[in-house]
Amino acid sequence: MNRLAASSVEPWSGERLVLTVAACAAGWAIVALACLAVGSTGEIGWPSRDILHIRREYVLLASLVGAALACAGVAYQAILRNPLADPYLLGASSGAMLATYLWQFPAMLGAIALGEQLFSFVGALAAVGVVFAIASRGGRLEPITLLLVGVIVNAVNGSVFLLINALVKDPATPGGPLMFLVGGLQTNLRPAQIYSAAAIIAGGWMVLLYITGQLNVATLGEGEATALGVRIHPLRWVALITATLVTASAVAVSGPIGFIGLVCPHLGRLIVGNDQRKLLPLATALGASLLCIADAASRWLARDTAAGTALPVGVLTGLLGGPFFLLLLWRNARSLATTEGGR
Amino acid sequence: MTTTITATPLLHATNVSFAYGDKPVLREVRVALAPGEVVALIGPNGSCKSTLIKTLLGHLPATGDVTWDGKSIRAWRRRDLARLVAYLPQSPTFDPQQRVADVLRMGRAPYWGPFGLESTRDVEVVQRVIDELHLNEWTTRRMDEISGGQRQLVYVARALIQEPRALLLDEPNTYLDLRHQVELGRLMRRLARERSLGLLVASHDLNLAAAFADRLVLLQDGAVAADGPPDEVLDPELLTRVYGVRMERLTREGKPPLLVPDAQGR
Repeated sequence: MNRLAASSVEPWSGERLVLTVAACAAGWAIVALACLAVGSTGEIGWPSRDILHIRREYVLLASLVGAALACAGVAYQAILRNPLADPYLLGASSGAMLATYLWQFPAMLGAIALGEQLFSFVGALAAVGVVFAIASRGGRLEPITLLLVGVIVNAVNGSVFLLINALVKDPATPGGPLMFLVGGLQTNLRPAQIYSAAAIIAGGWMVLLYITGQLNVATLGEGEATALGVRIHPLRWVALITATLVTASAVAVSGPIGFIGLVCPHLGRLIVGNDQRKLLPLATALGASLLCIADAASRWLARDTAAGTALPVGVLTGLLGGPFFLLLLWRNARSLATTEGGR
Repeated sequence: MTTTITATPLLHATNVSFAYGDKPVLREVRVALAPGEVVALIGPNGSCKSTLIKTLLGHLPATGDVTWDGKSIRAWRRRDLARLVAYLPQSPTFDPQQRVADVLRMGRAPYWGPFGLESTRDVEVVQRVIDELHLNEWTTRRMDEISGGQRQLVYVARALIQEPRALLLDEPNTYLDLRHQVELGRLMRRLARERSLGLLVASHDLNLAAAFADRLVLLQDGAVAADGPPDEVLDPELLTRVYGVRMERLTREGKPPLLVPDAQGR
């Protein structure tokens, strides 16, 4: 007799959760170690102690930012029931980017008192708030409208960034403010910046992991989720605010790196399905690994340039993620048409 | 079709009123449901059957008193209420890629711990319901690989996996052919009889409702027009007035009456 599928016979216990997280972490660790071996001169091999120190910083930062964006993407997609939602497309990243950029100006006294991370969060929240306010109709968020408004808010935020940049006559060179506009890993960060971002991202991730069971139920309609014991409105707030906070913390140290939050949940779903309890740890590890790989690739691609300047990783993730997004959009439009036709 | 009705009803709702903005849609509705009882909620389109079900579940903020197991709906924690009452909406949401087994497991959500952790009992209950409803063949299939009728049975199973004492179903026959409608009706009767489950079912089909329900509650413009055994509520004059189409009643020996609309009439 067919029982429940082999993988489902065991309950989702504490041991399985710990094992899953450990396996995901181990997978990421292997990728991260491999990325440590890729240098900006084109050589591949274990580096000297000094170079290892520098590369380790890049690899860890890439992992932190990638993990943050991917786990935020899982939360956004589940709670908005929208496979196209991600921190970048929702405007959260560009809002945080603009706020972080503004934070450095002495005129922003109030902002400085708030702290960089918090101000970045306010920027992200404001951008997401604007996107939701414009995109929602009678409390409903149409997937495509949401994306259109997100794209426009991103464009406006980017333009404001460039305008201020031009006004203060800060040359938009690669490695300078331009790096922050497209998203790239920086090495000129203070330890406090990195530690506070890491602490917020780790805390946010734990909160999201805690609510993964409820996020599973939230992927059903509101009435069904409520009937299954989930208080959907408080859950929505917790998930959106946590995901936005995690995004803002990542953007504050790296700028708005695109598509990691979109691609990784989908890659994860190909492996474990849409069970958020497994998807969150897996997508997080995939995000960390993918951005490590993108960072190593940008180092490797820079081997022949005169200045040896690495490409901002945001350029690479955009190049790879853009077509992936178009594919998703095409598939999504097709499946929506099929569902409507079949009912 | 007699049922022993215990002193404490599962559901007791009185003076339930609800308005969408300024427009009142439910007017002082009174409805009760006892363990082991099948109650069919009937009425024409716009009589607010679905709205009533949503207010009984506390999904819509109605005025009046709704008590479940003697406790006001406002005092229930969502999670605890989900262990007492299960709900099957008219068009349940489904992810076409999701496996049937994963849809069923979701029925245990009101019992999951933090991080969505499951107990061995959770898995046992899922397996027991799968066995009882003979769903074993489908558990590994995706939701888009089974028929509409099979999907409906999966939703009923998910509701039973909640181990509720009451089940609220909104037009469960919408996507079912005649055979599946009859099978679902029999299943509802069996659940009421064997598990003392109280079932409240919104239905458009008067005859099917009469065949399987102990009691019919007829709604008209958001108010109760009649509440009683099928024989009493299926009054052709009353139904003609409520539905706006002339009805003819055919009586049958030892069976509930059949109501037929007079297509030739006014």
